[in-house]
Amino acid sequence: MTAQDARVLLAKGLSCQVDSNLPAKFQVGDHVKAKVIHPKTYTRLPRYIRGKVGTIVKDHGVYVFPDTMGQRLSTKPQHVYSVRFTAQELWGLDASPKDSLYIDLFDDHLEAL
Amino acid sequence: MPSHHHRPESEVALRVKAIESLLVEKGIVDLAALDAIIDTYEHKVGPHIGAQIVAKAWVDPEFKKRLLADGTGAISELGFTGFSSEHMVVVENTPEVHNLIVCTLCSCYPWAILGLPPTWYKSFAYRSRAVIEPRKVLQEFGLEIPEQVEVRVWDSNADLRYLVLPERPDGAEGWSEEDLATLVTRNAMIGAAKVQPPAAADSLVA
Repeated sequence: MTAQDARVLLAKGLSCQVDSNLPAKFQVGDHVKAKVIHPKTYTRLPRYIRGKVGTIVKDHGVYVFPDTMGQRLSTKPQHVYSVRFTAQELWGLDASPKDSLYIDLFDDHLEAL
Repeated sequence: MPSHHHRPESEVALRVKAIESLLVEKGIVDLAALDAIIDTYEHKVGPHIGAQIVAKAWVDPEFKKRLLADGTGAISELGFTGFSSEHMVVVENTPEVHNLIVCTLCSCYPWAILGLPPTWYKSFAYRSRAVIEPRKVLQEFGLEIPEQVEVRVWDSNADLRYLVLPERPDGAEGWSEEDLATLVTRNAMIGAAKVQPPAAADSLVA
C-alpha cells in the first residue's frame, strides 16, 4: 500500500454491501430466534444473543458474510437486519421493562419462529 | 518525583516498534502510507466532523429527516464518508428515548465521523457492561436516565456504524450552525453524555 492508496482508502472506505436481488428470508415485524451455535471459527453472532427471540426492525440490504470471510471461504452475501431484543429477554426480569438492545444480524444467524 | 529521567518505553510501544520495523524491512508496509494514515487521524478526522453533522441536523429539519432515514446518504451530502463509516445509521435521542452505542465484538466505531475510539470504548468492561447494565454505565458517566425513559443499546457488531444525534440543549436559541457545533462532544455522539447548555446561558437566564 502506497501513501496514495492509503489516502484513497481512508477517504472512500471499503464497502461491504453487495448489489444483489437476493430475496430476504425475513420481513420487518417477523419474530426470529438467534441460532444456538458455537462455532470454533469466527462469527459475528455474539454468545449473549444465541437462543434469544427478537423482532426484525429493518432490512439493511445484502452484505458479505464475515463468518465465512473470516475463514477465507466464500463471501456468501446475505441480508443483514437490525434485530430488536428486549432487555428482559436477554437479561431476565431484573432488567428494565422499558429497555432494549438492537443488533445487526445476518440471515445465517437467524431462524424463523 | 524527578521528571527528567527517561522512562523505559512500555512493552506495547516496544512491540509496536519491533513489528513496524519488521514490516518495513520486509517491504510489506510503506512508511509513507503509515504516515498518511497517522496524519489523517491526528490532524484531519475527529469528533469535530460528527459535531458538524449534528449541528446541521439541529438547524435543518429536512436534512435531519434524511439523516435519520438514510444516514449514509445524508452524511455523504456533506462529503464526510470514509473508512469505517461506509454504512451509517443515525439514531436520535429524545425526551422519551436515550441511545447508547457499543461494539461488544471489538471496537467498531465510525472512524471517519468521530476519529479513533476512546480507550474506554475499547475496554472489556464497557463492551460487556453497556449491553447488560446500560443505566448503571451511564450513571458512572454522570448521566441519570429517568425510569420512564427508554434506553436503546446498539451493538454495532456487523458492518453498520452508528452515530447518536443528541438533543439540542436549551440556551442556544438562534445560534449559528458553526457555534452549535462547538457544543457537541464526542461522548454525546456515542450516547454516553448529553450536550450541555452553553455556560453563558445561565447568566442570561438569571
